[in-house]
Amino acid sequence: MRAWINGVGWMTPAGCGMGRAGSEQPLCAGQLDIPTRAQVFEEPDKRFGRLDPFSRVGLAAVAFCLRDAGEEHWTEKRPIGIVASSRYGCLGTDVAYLETMLPDGGKLASPNLFAYTLPNCFLGEAALRFGLTGNSLLLNQKDDNGLCAVRFAMEELSWSGQQGVLAGFCDLPFSEMGLEVDFPGSLFFLLGREPDARGVTYGELRLSGDQLFFKDKVVPDFSALVKACLGAHFINRFPGNKFQGKPACRDKEAVKR
Amino acid sequence: MSRVVLTRIATVTALGDGLGTLWQGLLAGQSGIAPIKRFDCNNYLSGLGACIDGLATPTEGSLLDAVLDRVVNEMGEVPPDCRLLVASTKGEIDRLENACRRGEKIPQAVLFEPLLEKIARRFKLSGRGMNINAACASSTIALIKGASLISGGHAEMVLVLGLDILSEFVFSGFSALQALSPDACRPFDCHRNGLTLGEAGVALLLMSEERARQSGEIPMAFVAGWGAANDAHHVTAPARDANGLILSIRQALKKADVGVDRVAAINAHGTGTVYNDAMELKAFKAIFGNGLPPVHGVKGSLGHCLGASGGVEIGIACRALQEQKIPGTIGCWEAEDEAQGMIGASAQSIDGEYLLCCNSGFGGVNGAVLLRKGDS
Repeated sequence: MRAWINGVGWMTPAGCGMGRAGSEQPLCAGQLDIPTRAQVFEEPDKRFGRLDPFSRVGLAAVAFCLRDAGEEHWTEKRPIGIVASSRYGCLGTDVAYLETMLPDGGKLASPNLFAYTLPNCFLGEAALRFGLTGNSLLLNQKDDNGLCAVRFAMEELSWSGQQGVLAGFCDLPFSEMGLEVDFPGSLFFLLGREPDARGVTYGELRLSGDQLFFKDKVVPDFSALVKACLGAHFINRFPGNKFQGKPACRDKEAVKR
Repeated sequence: MSRVVLTRIATVTALGDGLGTLWQGLLAGQSGIAPIKRFDCNNYLSGLGACIDGLATPTEGSLLDAVLDRVVNEMGEVPPDCRLLVASTKGEIDRLENACRRGEKIPQAVLFEPLLEKIARRFKLSGRGMNINAACASSTIALIKGASLISGGHAEMVLVLGLDILSEFVFSGFSALQALSPDACRPFDCHRNGLTLGEAGVALLLMSEERARQSGEIPMAFVAGWGAANDAHHVTAPARDANGLILSIRQALKKADVGVDRVAAINAHGTGTVYNDAMELKAFKAIFGNGLPPVHGVKGSLGHCLGASGGVEIGIACRALQEQKIPGTIGCWEAEDEAQGMIGASAQSIDGEYLLCCNSGFGGVNGAVLLRKGDS
């Protein structure tokens, strides 16, 4: 199974960013700020403010990934799927919903919050904004190397007629339960059946058995795949983009700590 | 490409344990919808649900444990090298609800990882598997994943396990969304006004044809085709033009290389909400035109079992193909104009080898599975 990595986008403690405008590894520990609409979309977006934090973070990463791949704007819906992995899903939203439901015997249960107590709903938000009609789902599993969504997406491309699949993760820390995540936030790759239409791509990804290879080198984990993609070759390849990468993770981390 | 066979199915629903019991109940026109005793419904739009009979409410733990126990008992042993695909929208959500209600620390057990570990242990599987969350199409999408793994030669056996309980968390949410019917739901009826929630556990064992033969398993049905697509329209409402479901069905027919004239019947999602049922009928008309085969839905009997619903319906569809009969659509007392002559409250005979199953869910998800009659 083969695919091309045509875009990388994220919303992490490093901020919102994308591969072709970033120069540092975006996966890092630290405080995750929930993005505002203006950080993600240039135009007003009526629904963004109603989204729960989990959906905002995931949607931001998808938006930056598609922007990175030159696939943000569309006129006709396209067969692109989304596969996201998450250990904790929308647990924070579940608790927020319960805080509206439990008092007064359910009288004040929030319909808006309830709509986001399904962790796949942010995929629906992404699908409707970007016209993505491929298969969309969220995975929960023990995933030691973080690559389960990428592998799943490769398999999707092998059996379906989808032209591409967004594959990545979305996880927010949940301090009430003492749950920390190695890399809070969200990051997505756009895997294409073909290289980027603009003739540029990060490289070829291959799945052989359970083993992933990027540019013919073994991919040990998700973080290594991100690093391998964000080589110097792509830095400022598309200058002038309004949404340049935020301060590098390392610098920001230094401030936070 | 390996052919994919469904060899064993276990169901636990409001109509009892086991596919045989469920099938007989459906043919007899029974409904498991009844007043809910599990929690106080005074402040909700409805007091009705299709609860599994005899589930003990644990002081610690989750009702899902009891459903899982009964599914394991029904299913019996499965080969330990099966891949595990779980399909649950909210897992052990009652644990979270109880912890928040009591102001206690939230236990790790509310997460999916411990649930997957427990399921693997109960079935004595070597791998822990994954949970697939695709809202109310979760088990359909999980079965599609399993079928594609087997068909592509990446797995020989996959156990798909759909599990969801009727919790106050979910019930209150659908009530807040104004999606619950005050009375038992009426799928495809012209007076339908919302859904009724249910709960279920379902296990489906998929195998490559060769492995099934080696294991002495008799195919109940073949998974001949499948498709999945997003509406890209709205997070909680179906697309009025049914584009996602139409795409899914077309993919399933194409994958199976089957013309519409060979589909003997359709098992619809049929939630009983105005928009879902209208969307489905639009999709069916777009695909089948004037040759629309008989359609039925089971949510008037079982309620909407969320992530488990697709799996239960695929089990029923296997039996329908074997018996060449589809159960009546309980609640469809006066079919809406578009469904006249195609959907009714009585069981109907069918004639053919293929049956189409469809499910849709929040997030714009749609899944379609085309089953072919098995050998028994």
